[in-house]
Amino acid sequence: MGEESIYDLLPTVRQPEAKNPRYKSVFNETTKAEYKSHKQASKTMGPAKVPLNEPSSFMSKRAKEPVLPEKSQFVRPNADQKRPAVPKRDEKPVMGLKSNKNFIHTNAVENIMSVAKKPQPKYVDTPGGTTNNLDDSGLVPKFVKKENYGTVPKYLEARKKQMAEHQKNYEQYIQQRLQKGALNQISAEERQKTLDGLKKNWEELHLQYQGLSVVTDTAPKKARKERMEAEMKQLEKDIDTIEKHKIIYVTDNF
Amino acid sequence: MSEDSVQELELISTIGFNGSVPHGLLVHPDGEHLIYPLGCTVVIENIKTHEQNFLSGHTNDVSCLAVSKSGKYVASGQITHMGFKADVIVWDFEAKEPYATFTLHKVKVEALAFSPSDKYLVTLGGRDDSSVVVWDLKMREALCGAPSALQSAGTVYTVQFMNTTDDKFVTGGNKTLRIWDVDRSNRKIRPQECDLGQLKRDVRCILIDSTDEFLYAGTTSGDLLQITIKTHLFKNSGPAKDKYSLGVHSIAMLKDGTIIVATGGGIVCALKAGTFKPIAQKECTLAGGATSIAVRGIGHQLYVGVNKGNIYRINFSDFQPTCINSCHYSGVLDVAFPHGCGDLFATCGKENIRVWVTDTSTEVLRVTVPNMTCHGVCFMTDGHSIISAWNDGKIRAFKPQSGAAMYTIHDAHKQGVTAIATTSDSSRIVSGGGEGQVRVWDISSNRQEMKAAMKEHKGVVTCIKIRANNMECVSSSDDGTCIIWDLNRFVRNQIIFANTLFKAVCYQPEETQLLTGGSDRKISYWETLDGSQIREMEGSADGSINGLDISDDGNYFVSGGNSRKVKVWKYNEGEVTHVGLGHSGDITRVRVCPNSKHIISVSADGAILRWKYPF
Repeated sequence: MGEESIYDLLPTVRQPEAKNPRYKSVFNETTKAEYKSHKQASKTMGPAKVPLNEPSSFMSKRAKEPVLPEKSQFVRPNADQKRPAVPKRDEKPVMGLKSNKNFIHTNAVENIMSVAKKPQPKYVDTPGGTTNNLDDSGLVPKFVKKENYGTVPKYLEARKKQMAEHQKNYEQYIQQRLQKGALNQISAEERQKTLDGLKKNWEELHLQYQGLSVVTDTAPKKARKERMEAEMKQLEKDIDTIEKHKIIYVTDNF
Repeated sequence: MSEDSVQELELISTIGFNGSVPHGLLVHPDGEHLIYPLGCTVVIENIKTHEQNFLSGHTNDVSCLAVSKSGKYVASGQITHMGFKADVIVWDFEAKEPYATFTLHKVKVEALAFSPSDKYLVTLGGRDDSSVVVWDLKMREALCGAPSALQSAGTVYTVQFMNTTDDKFVTGGNKTLRIWDVDRSNRKIRPQECDLGQLKRDVRCILIDSTDEFLYAGTTSGDLLQITIKTHLFKNSGPAKDKYSLGVHSIAMLKDGTIIVATGGGIVCALKAGTFKPIAQKECTLAGGATSIAVRGIGHQLYVGVNKGNIYRINFSDFQPTCINSCHYSGVLDVAFPHGCGDLFATCGKENIRVWVTDTSTEVLRVTVPNMTCHGVCFMTDGHSIISAWNDGKIRAFKPQSGAAMYTIHDAHKQGVTAIATTSDSSRIVSGGGEGQVRVWDISSNRQEMKAAMKEHKGVVTCIKIRANNMECVSSSDDGTCIIWDLNRFVRNQIIFANTLFKAVCYQPEETQLLTGGSDRKISYWETLDGSQIREMEGSADGSINGLDISDDGNYFVSGGNSRKVKVWKYNEGEVTHVGLGHSGDITRVRVCPNSKHIISVSADGAILRWKYPF
């Protein structure tokens, strides 16, 4: 049932259901015509004339009763699936049956011809001689005998390949940009110069920092120290960044 | 404004029946009209066309009702406050006008009866009055009076005249059953006590057979007493076993002498007169206690009034009850229309929410929560639920077709939920409580969550209205404030102070102005932007304004209140154009239906009145 709605409570005017048209027989017209013609059954010719039976073939006793089929033995439908009967109490099993097979001989021959069983490798770990399976013990070098022992796993190969591809793509992209003039590569000496400059700045700052008074008791002193620390940290970060990257590109559109 | 420019509002129909009045439902002897009390009016309803006429003149609830044998007169008695006198009004049935007013009894008129040839009317005072008075109808004056019972006996509840003579009547009550003789020449009435032997009974109804041979008295013990009138001797009582639970409250006799009994347990059944043996297949049970039984014609149809406000019709042949009239049996507290649909409306009151079809006044749905009172009802805009505010502090939602409970918000307000409104996107409810909080609830299909509680009112929240864009709402409270709330930030935007208990508030359709009404009998217009007062008018001369509603075009508004008048006002001019008279209790709410065809007003006496919208 859907959600109820107050608007469904509105009284609706029910249209009375249209009635089917009244039944009219298809023989209506013929019946009417027949009735009008005033012909009544057997009125003209009288009843049909049928020859009478011979007196000898009179109706015998029970002639009107239905003729039943012959009685037959009842057979169960699953009679063919029946198992043989359980032996009777006085029935005896068949005795005295004898085989001509020489069991001693055949057994000996079979054993002689059979292949010897391979002993399972075991190890003994107590003086009393308790044996254990050697295979599960870990004493046998199974792992190094593995087929793919010492090879680089497939997933690493795949990743390496992927990374190489990425790098290639990246370089391609950079080349494109360079060609367009959007990027400029910084040359090695320029990089070195920047690095040296930064280091020099840092050293100067460090020297000043070393020269600060030991006691930072006033607010300006504290502020100065903190500012210098922050500046040095920034410089260290910048130096780090430049040292980490051999190739540096600079873009103009910022 | 001149007085004669005020027109009367056309009353189309009322829904209401005070079923607790004993023997209150009558069939007029012409067999075409039902007569029953509704608050302080008496309603005459045509059985076939349902056309209603009203006899109004009582100042308080009607307590008893009688119709004369010829059908010429109808008499009604009332209750008043302690120390005042209660009127008996005799009405001319044809003219529907008062014929005479008799004022003698104190506090309450308990019962009345006409003599068979309309010569006398006998009236019975209540327990504070305990007198019986015979009135001459022709002279319109009291003939004589007497104390209704011995000092040792209790209250007298019922009175009945003989069927053949004007000079004899019977009164019955607690441990008293008296046959009185009227001595007109000496202006005296003389009682004779019936001898009941060891039996002590509280008689609630009396029936006298057509030949004046026996009288039958129904008692609170649940049995009937048969007394020979000539000898004043007790003859028989019955049924001997299985007395009717909660007493016999009304009895009637058919032409063939069969007695019909209506009991407080709601059983109506037919008995053989001599033996009090029940007749097979002639018994049925009604919902609520039967208080009156009226026979139409020769007895082929019985009308039974029940104290739960229903009127049942029972065809004597199959004895199956059909409810022909249902209504609230206590005050109606709120009325609401579905969004944009004037063909249905819902009302709520004690224990019940009912949904009515406007045009036919038929009840299509009733939701009952035992022992609780519903203070407010509204529909979700999508029409998929009825939201209601209950005095046990819960907000209940019901399915609108089956009436099944959808969800309940427990402990929505500490001192009962008193006002409720829904947003137009059907996703929020704003409720107000007795403790003064206004709370906003987020409603989804499986969760109801409180969004905010706004605590600024110090008194009961009486009315909440939400703006069309759901950004703001206004709440009125008994503490003398109306607050406009922001529904996004849940803070107060504006506050209106006045020295009154605000009872009703509504937005003008453009939502730039507010209309308020309260206990100071004033109707005020306010600016929503800054809360300043624009205009103040005297809404009524003698009672607080409880309900206000404005028409969709904003040109007219309707007010109602303790003055019991429905008034239609012009909004711009502030003039009354129409007044509707008809309510017999304090009006609690008024609503203009969304297609501006009707005005519905509901009152504390349980009546729902439908007026024609005049414009």
